[in-house]
Amino acid sequence: MLYIHQHTCISPQQTFVDADIESLKESVDNKLKAFEPAYEGIPHGILRRMGKAVRMGVGAAIPILKNNTAIDGIIIGTANGGMEDCIKFLNQIIDYEEGLLAPGNFVQSTPNAIAAQVGLMTKNKSYNITHVHRGLAFETALIDAAMMTKENPGKSYLLGAVDEISTYNFNIDYLDGWYKKETVSNRDLYGSQTPASIAGEGAAMFLVNDKKEGASAVVKAIKTLHTRDEETVKTGLKSFIENNFEKEQKPGLFLTGENGDNRLLKYYSACESVLPHINTIRYKHMSGEYPTTSSFALWLSCYLLRNQAPSHAQKEKLFSTPTNEILVYNNYKGIQHSFLLISPAE
Amino acid sequence: MSRVFVTGMGIISAIGDSVSANRDALINGRTGISDLTLFPTKYAGVLPCGEIKTTTDSLKEKLNAHEHGVTRTNLLALHALREAIEDAGLSQQILTADDTALIGASTVGGMCLTDELYHDANKSDNGSEYLASYDCGSVNIYLQSRYKIGGIINTINTACSSSANAVMYGARLIKNGLAKRAIVGGADSLAKFTINGFKSLHILSDEKCRPFDNDRKGLNLGEGAAFLVLEKEEDIAGKRVYAEVTGYGNSNDAFHPSSISDDGDGPYLSMREALNVAGINEHEISFINAHGTATENNDETESRAMIRLFNTPPPFASTKGYTGHTLGAAGAVEAVYSILSLYYQELYPALQFTLPIESTGLIPQLSYTSASLKHIMSNSFGFGGNCSSLIFSK
Repeated sequence: MLYIHQHTCISPQQTFVDADIESLKESVDNKLKAFEPAYEGIPHGILRRMGKAVRMGVGAAIPILKNNTAIDGIIIGTANGGMEDCIKFLNQIIDYEEGLLAPGNFVQSTPNAIAAQVGLMTKNKSYNITHVHRGLAFETALIDAAMMTKENPGKSYLLGAVDEISTYNFNIDYLDGWYKKETVSNRDLYGSQTPASIAGEGAAMFLVNDKKEGASAVVKAIKTLHTRDEETVKTGLKSFIENNFEKEQKPGLFLTGENGDNRLLKYYSACESVLPHINTIRYKHMSGEYPTTSSFALWLSCYLLRNQAPSHAQKEKLFSTPTNEILVYNNYKGIQHSFLLISPAE
Repeated sequence: MSRVFVTGMGIISAIGDSVSANRDALINGRTGISDLTLFPTKYAGVLPCGEIKTTTDSLKEKLNAHEHGVTRTNLLALHALREAIEDAGLSQQILTADDTALIGASTVGGMCLTDELYHDANKSDNGSEYLASYDCGSVNIYLQSRYKIGGIINTINTACSSSANAVMYGARLIKNGLAKRAIVGGADSLAKFTINGFKSLHILSDEKCRPFDNDRKGLNLGEGAAFLVLEKEEDIAGKRVYAEVTGYGNSNDAFHPSSISDDGDGPYLSMREALNVAGINEHEISFINAHGTATENNDETESRAMIRLFNTPPPFASTKGYTGHTLGAAGAVEAVYSILSLYYQELYPALQFTLPIESTGLIPQLSYTSASLKHIMSNSFGFGGNCSSLIFSK
């Protein structure tokens, strides 16, 4: 059991300070860019050198680190880390024909720079790791954190995920057919009925341990799958529910990563067929699509355990069942799938 | 918590394309570091590397890997994975089972295609066949799709300690009951990106690297892949068992983005943690496969950390003088070498060593010799202060 004691999120919506997601911030040119705060607590000289991914990651971690100086490990998921720095360095290699280059972008470009920077700023010498398994980078970090808390009772960990929109990964994913060719507003994302989605970015951080007392939520179960077959996803969800619920019981809320890509709808339909008559909420019109959006979904789950779901996120009008347990299903590019089960700690 | 054993190994590196070829080169002190011949860079002939002298096309033929977007890193990984799976005798049915995990590491991924990535990232044409192959995760996603591996699949990137952490994660999955078996390792191929990156940091040597030598001039990059099959105690009856994974430690040096602190806090802590997990004291370590990159900073700080922990360190050596620094694959490559030492009860000579570092006086293992070995520690340290140590036991 992984208990969440604090959760922070820098996202395209107002999630960081005075979280209010009732009013939806809109996408521009198929991009939902993060609404970055003033980043108090990062020395100016260091902040200036940080790429966006590192900045968002460290920025989201600071409120947690401020209250918990003795964290026992830093566990980060990011598919790409600082992609902007990575390609800046690459461009220099090609443009200057392998001339004399400054190492700054190279050092910042490694995906472990986020966890490393948090460790460096807080002089934290404990467990430090970066999971980069594309659309499951956050989930495998979450599994890591769950193992750590089981192996080390009483210890607390910073768990989080970051991914950024850079010009470059936007170009690569656009060319590969993952961002829409026509301009679609996030308000109309689910009605678009065309292939591909819109881009997003963000960072979400969590303080986790094995202590129930004072926790705001608990991650009760997690399952990951690699498949292109929607029947396998359906079977996976059925067994996930059987393993985690008494007969005839089901979660109160189904939070899905539907992203407006009509090629992926079959997976969501398959899952919804396993969970008929359930309140369904969607989140990618808020976060946009990126590899670690399930970290946004976990933050949102923590929020939804205490707050009403905004009407723009409801797939259909909600019926009045209590939000006791939230089941999250996400799918990245039709290959990587995950189920998370989140409930109030008490 | 179940004990975890190694029942299969696979490796491809500059000193050979199988476990036995690698062992033969180690016994005979044959380095794989040479001039680059397979890809165009202005540093070919200038900066020696641990290059695998098999072309990407030959690897595709050999492995029958003609899928769209397959990269050299994918192919090296597949080559090593295939050997490990066959070695452990894992059937297709076992691979597909939902309790078979694949935990790989990579820091380069498809970025070995530096020029293709340049064009795609800058959208200079309609896109190459490699659009989905650049990220680190692409390597293990490819391996998963090739073998339909059914359990937890993960990719770790903690720079040069990546695949040591993959071994650790896989062993912990088994101990936590989240997998019955885990195929763990890593792969990286040489890339213009990393050659220029390390060059910009002024830590590449223009001669064959000399780990732990007083006059070392820096590291040589290398490429390679290695995988281990880890299984739990209950499932190893009747199988060849190479070693037990008894210890692992991960800590952060928290000092500087690209160098280790003077006293080697991160290395010291990761080694100490690995001893704690293994439940043994430092005097029980028979040999250390050191990180030993042959940079000014690494070898001195690693030496200090060894002296700090062991007082008089046990026999040690770095195999970077054979393979070069294979980055995300290094932890797994050196895990294979550590396990070979343990299984065959033999030590391999360090190469290109003449004079000990003045301030430490430590001399690595210099000759091939048989030895009675019980516990071997393998160190991997990376940028971002990411330090990991593993312990394999007989």
